[in-house]
Amino acid sequence: MTRIKQGSIQKKEPRSVIRVYPQGLRESVISFPNNTMNQQQATIESERCLQCYDSPCTVACPTHIDIPTFIGMIRSGNVIGAAEVVKTSNALANTCGKICPEEIFCQSVCTRAKQDSPIQIRELHFYATQMESRKGFSRLKVFSTIDGAVAVIGAGPAGLSCAFELTKLGHKVDVYEKDGIGGVPRNSIPSFRLANDELESDTNFLSRFFKTRKEDVNARLFEEIRHHHKAIFLAVGLGVDRPIGIPGERLKGVLPVLQFLHKAKIQPSVLSIGDRVVIIGGGNVSLDAAATAKRLGAESVVLIYRRSESEMRVWKSELNEARRQGVEIRFLTNPVAIVGKSEISGVMCRHTRLSKEKDESGRRVPVELKGSDFVIDADTVIVAIGQSVEAEWLEGFERTENGYVKVNKNFHTSVSGVFAGGDMVAGEGTIVQAVANGKQAAHTIHEHVSKKLR
Amino acid sequence: MVDLSINCGGIKSPNPFWLASAPPTNSAYQVCKAFEKGWGGAVWKTIGEPVMNVVNRYGSVDYNGQKILGINNIELISDRTVAVNLKEIAETKKLWPDRALIVSLMVESKRETWHDIVKRAIDTGCDGIELNYGCPHGMSERGMGAAVGQVPEYCAMITEWVTEASTIPVLVKLTPNVSDIRYPGRAAKKGGADGISLINTINTIMGVDLDTLELKPSIDGRGGHGGYAGPAVKPIALNMVSQIAIDPEIQLPISAMGGVTTWRDALEFILLGATSVQVCTAVMHYGFRIIDDMVEGMGNWMEEKGYRSLDEIRGKSLKCITDFGSLNLLYKAIARIDESKCIQCNLCTIACDDGAHQCIDVLPKDKHVNGNVLHIGQPKVREADCVGCRLCYLVCPVDGCISMVRVDDDKQSISWNELMKQLPQPLTWEALRQFQQKHGIEIH
Repeated sequence: MTRIKQGSIQKKEPRSVIRVYPQGLRESVISFPNNTMNQQQATIESERCLQCYDSPCTVACPTHIDIPTFIGMIRSGNVIGAAEVVKTSNALANTCGKICPEEIFCQSVCTRAKQDSPIQIRELHFYATQMESRKGFSRLKVFSTIDGAVAVIGAGPAGLSCAFELTKLGHKVDVYEKDGIGGVPRNSIPSFRLANDELESDTNFLSRFFKTRKEDVNARLFEEIRHHHKAIFLAVGLGVDRPIGIPGERLKGVLPVLQFLHKAKIQPSVLSIGDRVVIIGGGNVSLDAAATAKRLGAESVVLIYRRSESEMRVWKSELNEARRQGVEIRFLTNPVAIVGKSEISGVMCRHTRLSKEKDESGRRVPVELKGSDFVIDADTVIVAIGQSVEAEWLEGFERTENGYVKVNKNFHTSVSGVFAGGDMVAGEGTIVQAVANGKQAAHTIHEHVSKKLR
Repeated sequence: MVDLSINCGGIKSPNPFWLASAPPTNSAYQVCKAFEKGWGGAVWKTIGEPVMNVVNRYGSVDYNGQKILGINNIELISDRTVAVNLKEIAETKKLWPDRALIVSLMVESKRETWHDIVKRAIDTGCDGIELNYGCPHGMSERGMGAAVGQVPEYCAMITEWVTEASTIPVLVKLTPNVSDIRYPGRAAKKGGADGISLINTINTIMGVDLDTLELKPSIDGRGGHGGYAGPAVKPIALNMVSQIAIDPEIQLPISAMGGVTTWRDALEFILLGATSVQVCTAVMHYGFRIIDDMVEGMGNWMEEKGYRSLDEIRGKSLKCITDFGSLNLLYKAIARIDESKCIQCNLCTIACDDGAHQCIDVLPKDKHVNGNVLHIGQPKVREADCVGCRLCYLVCPVDGCISMVRVDDDKQSISWNELMKQLPQPLTWEALRQFQQKHGIEIH
């Protein structure tokens, strides 16, 4: 906390530059999910908030939502105000309210935890934004004036957040997206974690603030967009599943994880995965796939991971949830081949041990144990070992060691006037980090463009 | 062995807990049920003139999820006939001879009417009479209740009519809706009362509904003031009870009420001079069963502290009550923060900085979380500047973290009244500053 000297006044930055009266979002009125707090629960929980002066929660939130302020508003019954505070800081307010891993962000530093237990910040956040959605209107309205200066390619969390923030900074933004807006939350986060109407309360709200062009960007179009705009923000995410590079990868029954999750979300009826499913990979996406497979009716779901539990980079709550649903997790197990004739029959695995040596991620390197091969029977194998970013028009861009698009601290890529953010520069991360990325990038883009406009 | 029995102006009961004259004492069914649970006494819901009630009688103040911090009512005196009530009172008394059963009365201001109702009440075998000079609504407009309690002359006159006809103890119940409670108290004494009950409910409007713009509660779109009670009124009641207790002209036993919810509240009233305590809101909220904890809690406290009877503690805290001019100006205490308990919420800092005297500093400690730097500040009192106002102590959410520590040498004492005798009059700022400087008191 900065202590303010007597006699001096420190101005707080205004929360938003866009405000006020709408034509109505009435068509976006959504059904109220059962697991949202009711008003009484929200009042009691918000009363527990100490309104502590330093509000470490606000700092720990990647999008720096002014948490004590919106909690105070819930306490007074000003739900619209609370939702406004949340939304002006975090463009994907409802999505993050539902699935943000609060245990590693805001709630992890809550002062109240030193007394008894942390405030359920995310639940309060979700309560506010959902209550606002249910009321069916938002007072936020655009009056941006700078036309055609910036284009955003990709309408996932980072792209939407950047476009929204740029709108607040006065830009009329052109957004290019080949599918509907929403990105990862729309395409691959299972609907049991994030219901469609919950995401829609964000996308319906956001789509009013910028033009969206439903076009697949290719080299020619990319050049055209560059030509017409002073800056471009790229946020196309990680669209391509990485191949695993073991024999049998092309057999029928092997599914890359993004394809699997997308199909499971859009057309679960045409997806036939059989009784036995093996998931290869130990990340959050793998856990989503495992839980989805269970929900699709698979009798046995086995997740194999070449390291041990402590190396797993997953949210503990999701790991526990997957286990609760009966997903079997086998650590220190590496796939060596997918076996079968035309259709698969199983995965040939080999046990591993962890050597003392550490890789660049700081985790111990797994070493295969000779002669420990065994087969896990499977009807479907889902490969979830990570994704990469590929597109012919991205060829001229400098990459990081991991193959992601390289940016400097201002989110500027190696190509002049082209900025990038989200998973395509950082690898698979959280929604809230992508939102924060887009928001920060918007400010450096605005600065860049302002110089050019001057 | 602890003895909780009391004798309040001639009315005896096995413990000091009486039900106040209110909805919980509306019928023999309720009073008998309460006695069975262990209540020491009950003041029957006021009987008297014919009345008719309306619907939506109660309103409450809820505070951040906690229900009924205060309750307000516009329910009138008993809407059952006098005959039915008196019959039930007589039956109840016969079943429970060891409990205090008091009949509350309110009739029109005519001597004969009062004489008649008093005699009929005594015929039930009850232990005492309480005169309802308190109700602020409904009855007061008809010249009864608070309309009597607010005019000391009426109060004395009617009390006299009652006491001249009564052979049993008479308690006078006072309304708090006056500027000085001692005047009606003295009037009751003058009228020959054996004891005083207070406080009745306080005039209030509970709120306005922001959807309908009507009052809360709304009686077909309309409403008005009612009588306020419950935990929120306790501090007001404590003050009024103590004023009656220390008034040298009154010196009557007190049956105290106003927000008594637990045995702790009851003890506070007794320490400020009450003999019995009356309870209503807590019973309306939680039921008669709360008596278990009241009796047990009070008994355990007394045993722990080594008291054997309530006589030993009655009025024990009254000696602390004084006027501002007699307080020691040289007593000095400052706030001290126990850093081992502090959770760094800095509520004290902001309260001191914005609402008090700017004497808490924050020593920055940085903590890194997810690549962000958290500025966690450790508050520290600048003791030389602390005026000892106690605000930080109040806002601190952690028990025992901030304490007020005495720092004067406990050798000197001077009150404002004494000081005024020493300093030249009329008093000047300069003379006062000199006194302050001499004693190292810095005003900033």
